[in-house]
Amino acid sequence: MKFLDTVARAGRSLKNAKARTLLTSLAIGVGAFTITLSLAAGQGGRAYTDQIVSANTDVRELVVTKKQPEASTGPKKFEASGVSSGAVTGPLGGSGSSQVNFLNEDDIAKISDVEHVVSVSPNYAPKVTYITADGADKYVVDSISTFSPSVQLEYAAGAFEGDLKNNEIILTEEFATALGFKTAQDAVGKTVTLRADKLSSPVTAPENELFTYTVKAVSSKSGFAFRAQGSLLVSNAAAETLYEYINSGTRAYGNFLLASVQVDDAGNATAVKDALNSKGYEAQTAADILGTVNTFINVLQGILIGFGALAVLTSVFGIINTQYISVLERTQQIGLMKALGMRRRDVGRLFKLEAAWIGFLGGLIGSGVAVVAGTIANPAISKAVGIGDTHLLIFDPMQVAIVVIGLVLVSVGAGILPARKAAKLDPIEALRTE
Amino acid sequence: MIEIKNVTKTYGKKQNAFLALDNVSFTIPDGASVAILGKSGSGKSTLMHAISGLDRPEQGEVLIDGVDILKLNTKHVDRFRAQTIGFIFQSFFVQANETVADNVSLPLEIADVPRSQRKAKIREALENVDLIEKVNNKAKNLSGGQKQRLAVARAIVNRPQIIFADEPTGNLDSVTGNKVEDMLFGYNKENGVTLIIVTHDQDLAARCDMQVNIKDGKIESIRTIKESKKTPAKKAAKGKVA
Repeated sequence: MKFLDTVARAGRSLKNAKARTLLTSLAIGVGAFTITLSLAAGQGGRAYTDQIVSANTDVRELVVTKKQPEASTGPKKFEASGVSSGAVTGPLGGSGSSQVNFLNEDDIAKISDVEHVVSVSPNYAPKVTYITADGADKYVVDSISTFSPSVQLEYAAGAFEGDLKNNEIILTEEFATALGFKTAQDAVGKTVTLRADKLSSPVTAPENELFTYTVKAVSSKSGFAFRAQGSLLVSNAAAETLYEYINSGTRAYGNFLLASVQVDDAGNATAVKDALNSKGYEAQTAADILGTVNTFINVLQGILIGFGALAVLTSVFGIINTQYISVLERTQQIGLMKALGMRRRDVGRLFKLEAAWIGFLGGLIGSGVAVVAGTIANPAISKAVGIGDTHLLIFDPMQVAIVVIGLVLVSVGAGILPARKAAKLDPIEALRTE
Repeated sequence: MIEIKNVTKTYGKKQNAFLALDNVSFTIPDGASVAILGKSGSGKSTLMHAISGLDRPEQGEVLIDGVDILKLNTKHVDRFRAQTIGFIFQSFFVQANETVADNVSLPLEIADVPRSQRKAKIREALENVDLIEKVNNKAKNLSGGQKQRLAVARAIVNRPQIIFADEPTGNLDSVTGNKVEDMLFGYNKENGVTLIIVTHDQDLAARCDMQVNIKDGKIESIRTIKESKKTPAKKAAKGKVA
């Protein structure tokens, strides 16, 4: 019997038992629905983190720290070379008493010497006392970061290309409002003042200085940018000036928890990373950061797919059951076909193909509903999570096709036992009418 | 020519053994119509199953045109049935949910007849049994007589050499039964197809060229009712009564 004829006959048999076929395929459809959605969520999640990372990091940039002592339980040996972070009022305003190894000037010089490294900028993160503008109150500043032209920012006003000048600052929308500007656009071009306190000055005669900047732009809250949120941005040189003024003369001066390294070409990032790692530093490329986040997404996706697989497993028993009943019901038909010379193999194939049809139908229904529902729900999900126009569910036609094909194969597997029973039927017994 | 030689078939084992066919031998000439007569349990169905290759007797030979089908492997027996034999059953066994055309198409599909040739063959078979106007109807909408005619169409569609009919009129009233009989004998005479009818209906048996009476698995008697014009030289072989 020709394969296509068998496919057609299998399809016709199922059409004659519509309700049963539909119910059985719905069971497998639940699995298809879950798996399709989890694949779409994984795809969307990875695309989202991809955007986050590219919005916040530069592929030519590495984040470098000094290799940290391995965490061990029990008392730790004191090492004179390290600086106890408890005593540091520096880069991180550290807390806790664990020993942290910082990067010092020697380290920065060593890192600069590595091949392909263009520049090394320590993470200054100066702690200024407050910010204010004409006629406005004084506000505490949590963090000042270094502006990098290669990191994409979203602006509420004053969008620009290129680097910041040393007397320019980028405010956040919240600070712009707090400092009394009516709109973000109003703030652009105005001046703001930062006060820096010299930490090494004697308590009895504190020294401080005011630094004035022109507002270059106002950054807006973005679905991607976590670095820019709540952070005021100044140029690297301006950050260094502030840092010098505030921290010079303290014990922590010249020690940095991390530094960012610019590499001449994205392709060399990994080579630089390896070179730095062998020199006793820990370097992370943008890809590493992305990988860490994606591992998390992959685990979540795996769990979801697991649930889908469970649903599929359940439906497998449904298919076996349905097909067994079908074989019993159609004993005479099977007997007739065998009497007319249909081969055992072909009889078995007929029933396996019926199972395949059920799987195909279920896969189509399940993933179809998933695609439609997901597409409709996408804007609502994005709104609820607050990520703007990005869609968290991305359906890849290839993946949907693979899901459907996979379910067809699983169904054929489920159809093997009933098909074997059908193939083994004795035509004489099957056709006995008495 | 069909030669049945010393065929013995036992059901069950040891003490429970039941001899369904006991050393049966006879010969059927090509194009003959043969009635296998006997009461239920006499072994007439078993004999039909043995000749058609559905069953495998443990002893003896069934030679069809010189080939012993009992010695063929399953694949070749299946092919033999698909290409040389047509079946008609008492309970029709038409597929109620399928169309008339799909029912008739089944033997062609099994015998791997190319799709392009099927339509013409199906039409021809349905015209032979006067069912051509029902070609697209579902089989469940046919009457009993029409169903059996559909079964006849299914049996002849692939131009078999031998047609087996197991009580073909057992479920029909005499008028429709006669119509089906006329079709079967007409086809038998016109196309020279060997027709083997298993029945306990004496009237039906009387229309056949040859009657084989079976009792308790043995041939009781073989009668040739009328000398077939087509087979003057080959008189019905002597029945061997064990």
